[in-house]
Amino acid sequence: MLPGDFQPPKRPTGRRIALFGALGLGGVVGLVVVVVIATFVISAWLGLPLDAFGLNEGPDQPIAFPHPTHVEDLGLDCTFCHRNVTVGAAATIPAVGFCMSCHITVGDDKPEVEKLRNFHTSGIPVDWVRVHRVPDHVNFVHEPHIRHFSEQYGGASGTCQLCHGDVGSMVKVQQVRSLKMGDCVDCHRDNEAPTDCTTCHY
Amino acid sequence: MASTNTQWGMVIDVDKCIGCQGCVVACQSENNIPINTEDLFNQRRAIEWIRVERYWEGEFPDVKARFIPILCQHCNDAPCEPVCPVFATYHNNEGMNVQVYNRCIGTRFCANNCPYHVRFFNFWEPEWPETLTNQLNPDVTVRSRGIMEKCTFCIQRIRRTSREAARDGEELSDDSRELNPACVNACPTDTLFFGDLNDPDSKVAKLAKEEMSDDGRGYHLMPQYGTSPNVIYLKKVDESTKDSNGSHE
Amino acid sequence: MSLTRRQFLTLMGGSATAVAAAACGVPERELLVQSPIEMPEDMVTGLDNWYATIDRQNRAPLGVVVRVMEGRAKKVEGNVDYPVNRGKHNAVAEAGLQGLYHPDRIGSPLIRTGQRGEGKWEQLSWTDAVSRVAERLGELSGEETVFITNPVSAHTGLVVNRFAEALGAKHMSYEPLERTVLKASMKQVFDQEAMPDFDIENAAYILSFGADFLNTWESPVRYARGYGHFRQGENRSRGKLVHFDSRFSMTGANADEWVYVKPGYEGEVALAIANVMISAGLPDSPALHRITGQGSNSLESFTPQAVGSRAGVDPEKIVRIARDFLEHPPGLAIGGGSAGAHSNGLFNLNAIYALNYLSGSVDQLGGITFNPSPPISDLPTAPDATSFSDFRDLAGRMSGGQVKALLVRNADPFYGLPENTGITRASFNVPLIVSFSNRFDDTTMLADIILPENHYLEDWGTDIPDPGPGYQTIGFQQPVVRPFFESRGPHLGTKNFGDVLMTLAQVLEKDLGLDADNFKGLMENDARRLRELDRGSVRAANDKLFWNTILQRGGWWDTNASGDIHDPRSGQYSFPTAAQAPSTGGSGEFHLMPFETTGLTDGRGADLPWLQATPDPITTATWQTWVEINLKKAEEMGINEGDVVKVTSEQGSIEALAYPHPGISPDVVAIPVGQGHKGGGRYSKDRGANVLSILSPVTESETGALAWAATRVNLRRTGEWIRLPKFENTAPDLAEDGHRRIIPLTSG
Repeated sequence: MLPGDFQPPKRPTGRRIALFGALGLGGVVGLVVVVVIATFVISAWLGLPLDAFGLNEGPDQPIAFPHPTHVEDLGLDCTFCHRNVTVGAAATIPAVGFCMSCHITVGDDKPEVEKLRNFHTSGIPVDWVRVHRVPDHVNFVHEPHIRHFSEQYGGASGTCQLCHGDVGSMVKVQQVRSLKMGDCVDCHRDNEAPTDCTTCHY
Repeated sequence: MASTNTQWGMVIDVDKCIGCQGCVVACQSENNIPINTEDLFNQRRAIEWIRVERYWEGEFPDVKARFIPILCQHCNDAPCEPVCPVFATYHNNEGMNVQVYNRCIGTRFCANNCPYHVRFFNFWEPEWPETLTNQLNPDVTVRSRGIMEKCTFCIQRIRRTSREAARDGEELSDDSRELNPACVNACPTDTLFFGDLNDPDSKVAKLAKEEMSDDGRGYHLMPQYGTSPNVIYLKKVDESTKDSNGSHE
Repeated sequence: MSLTRRQFLTLMGGSATAVAAAACGVPERELLVQSPIEMPEDMVTGLDNWYATIDRQNRAPLGVVVRVMEGRAKKVEGNVDYPVNRGKHNAVAEAGLQGLYHPDRIGSPLIRTGQRGEGKWEQLSWTDAVSRVAERLGELSGEETVFITNPVSAHTGLVVNRFAEALGAKHMSYEPLERTVLKASMKQVFDQEAMPDFDIENAAYILSFGADFLNTWESPVRYARGYGHFRQGENRSRGKLVHFDSRFSMTGANADEWVYVKPGYEGEVALAIANVMISAGLPDSPALHRITGQGSNSLESFTPQAVGSRAGVDPEKIVRIARDFLEHPPGLAIGGGSAGAHSNGLFNLNAIYALNYLSGSVDQLGGITFNPSPPISDLPTAPDATSFSDFRDLAGRMSGGQVKALLVRNADPFYGLPENTGITRASFNVPLIVSFSNRFDDTTMLADIILPENHYLEDWGTDIPDPGPGYQTIGFQQPVVRPFFESRGPHLGTKNFGDVLMTLAQVLEKDLGLDADNFKGLMENDARRLRELDRGSVRAANDKLFWNTILQRGGWWDTNASGDIHDPRSGQYSFPTAAQAPSTGGSGEFHLMPFETTGLTDGRGADLPWLQATPDPITTATWQTWVEINLKKAEEMGINEGDVVKVTSEQGSIEALAYPHPGISPDVVAIPVGQGHKGGGRYSKDRGANVLSILSPVTESETGALAWAATRVNLRRTGEWIRLPKFENTAPDLAEDGHRRIIPLTSG
């Protein structure tokens, strides 16, 4: 046989079959891993990474604050506690002292209320876990959004659910919209709000 | 004001500028500009969105020095805009040349193309000692490493003031102090004026109309480039050369 | 360590991933939202409040408003209402914020544990610290205690004066570049205790001698505001400014004409101008009679020719400027700075200010206006700075062991006094040094106990501006933020200086005779007195409303209350018949002109990075000490920019970087004051050189003030080269700009 002549492939031996099999299996596993990671990355890009697995039920908070009790049972307005939402950038979480204006007398037997009182007496601020967050280079201000939608949705408290969902019924607060730029811009277009970059980025 | 027809602009009366650097530090304070360390000056990488240039004229004993504040000219035909591959810099409908930090990928083409040298690149992540971060302005993004930055006409002030005026149902006057960029409010000699060039009642529009006429003192910086800036300069008056040299430019 | 290519790539990849992960991640604190325990009513997250207060970073305090968000001060701007600066401010006022949040601030009382100056400290509680100081002071007689402060006025001044009196201690006010000569001149020429105001806004012609009034001299923001109108104000023609100076300063650069005068001959030039003016014929007036010695022109020895040759000024220029000055009323003459810092400083300043009588601008619009005494008679205006000679005596007494305790507040004599006084060495013979400073300045470094006072943005206070705006004014300073170190509890942290003195007096069982037991109480009581006057900018139905309004507006003033001033015509000065030549220390080749820069001024701004990074207007240099030298002279000597040169006076030498430029006389070198601190924190420590340390101890002949512009030096290249950090050329020259040359006005 001359070097360079066509030579038919040799039949693989048993060891080779095992090797190819292992490699093939490894490839499949690798592919699955890549797909899973890609899912994470893509869904993270879309805003809610854990949604893909039904895991988005919102983080645990230092005090398990029940929105339903306050909103659905007691009928409190959103703006009763989040009072800066109609004037400024942040809706703001109320100061502990503000909670205590009711809880000084209300809810004696509840362990979570006890936690709240401990915060108050010890003077340590509560570190709530953030649920909704836009990046540093976005200047989001609640006030003009509330102002714009208030008439249409019957007052300031009616507008919150547009972006935050029905928080009043959530035991743990979770994010329901992606709050990515596409989301913002779509809504701005629909409502003829400015879409110039410097509306939010400066 | 602030209608769709707004054209923000500035008038700089060089005859009043004393070179005191008040505008420079006011800008640093308002816009979270990183501390210009000794090394940055030595590397020629100090960031000053507004700077005061000093020019020598003559020699001792008949010597003169002239000061001229230079900031982004917010050109209507800006040379920086067409070279950006990602549209991070563009002209908006209020007459401003805008730098969008989150789009910028740091090619530095824009800085190369700017004849006024008013664009600055962040070569490093900005750093402050922990306590000094308390001073940072929450209305302005802290720019990270690898992106371009420049004068914004303190757009955060325009946004905040117009928003708060709308909230309180008030009319915002075009020459109101809250609307002014930090440098304008800081200037002790009233060298700088800011306002809407399209509003005929504003101070800047009146000055522009009056001074850009044939016998006025107004001029654009480097008109030969045809950038059509929104910043108008008013000439320095020098009576000692007035008679000897009638022509100018 | 050896590294294979593969290992290197792995490491690179690993660190790149780590960097990428760190960059993409969200900082942990942003994933938290804090809800505080209590929220003040006026504090809304995301909304800003502007509070009026007084800026004290400047030597002449300004009325400012400070933007506060979430309890943090963010921005300083001028208070539009405040009479001194009318909404204007400067770089120095802006940078006060960095003093508030300075990383090296002192946050609690400290006691020295190591050797003096070693920098070892231990924290102790206020009660402990105050009782220790009181115990030591209690053992001493009054003469053994010396109290050094910056020139303090209003309520702080009141408490300081009473405290020093009660202890029998000697009170001295310290400023590196003192105002003693200026104040003496005001007394002699105009018979005024307080500094007058200059109406630059309405002046038509300004002659200025040595005073860099647009940059650092006296009340630069007020003057700069006037200057804007002076140049291009509405309903007036453009004013003309002629500046006589031995250095090409910022004011010189802005003048229509800068005229070089040999150092120390400013007074003679002024007298030559007076001579020309009188010869031209002036309307007869009693003031003229007095100034000229019964109306005769006694200035024969000050002909333009004679003076011109002595002072190095073209006689024709003197004649032309004098005539111009006369023909363009109101003409204003201002003198100070280096003109008063010679052995004949008072001679110079007197001659300069007397020109205002000849131009008829005394007590006139566009001229000099005088300040009345404050509306509440107890309140002191700023005292005369104690003269250099007194401090030299103090150093002698210290080294002789006659001073047992030294209390220092907001003054840094160990930095500012020339080395030859030996005060730093002498301080080792003083058993107790107490500092009230909240930063480690050079004096505080050598203290035994530090009782840190609040930063001014956290503090109460009042100010009687000096120079005032021409009518009665009291500025009210309020805390715009809670004290930064408040979280350390009531026993640590910083306190109000007045309160500390009052507590000290209480522990010492001395009665200060004050009508309140804390500093804020004093202010409130006097606010009540102000309301009873029922005049001025604030009137209110009740005390509480009055107090709130006065804080909201930043003070109280009465534009009509310009009366109650000494008649300026009762000044004693008349033109001298003989010249008084300046004498200098040493016989070097160059005359040394120290000068204040925009940012660091007399050194008080050196610890603030914004001010360190503020380019000097003339050289654009930053962060370093440089030597300004004439361009041609430097070429002759082979000196290039950045060459390290040794500047030697008869008292010692410093090293600095050369900056040759065309605007300085070949006989003069100029060095900025303000660097070369041994302390002050990370931004100022061991940076640059302190030119004040090599000054010759020449004093002004009548007042005993330091003649800081009377030193001669030699220059020598060391052979080293360091890049001079400067802003110039950061952006390439705008070479193609046709306007870079002086632009003539075509319309005339």
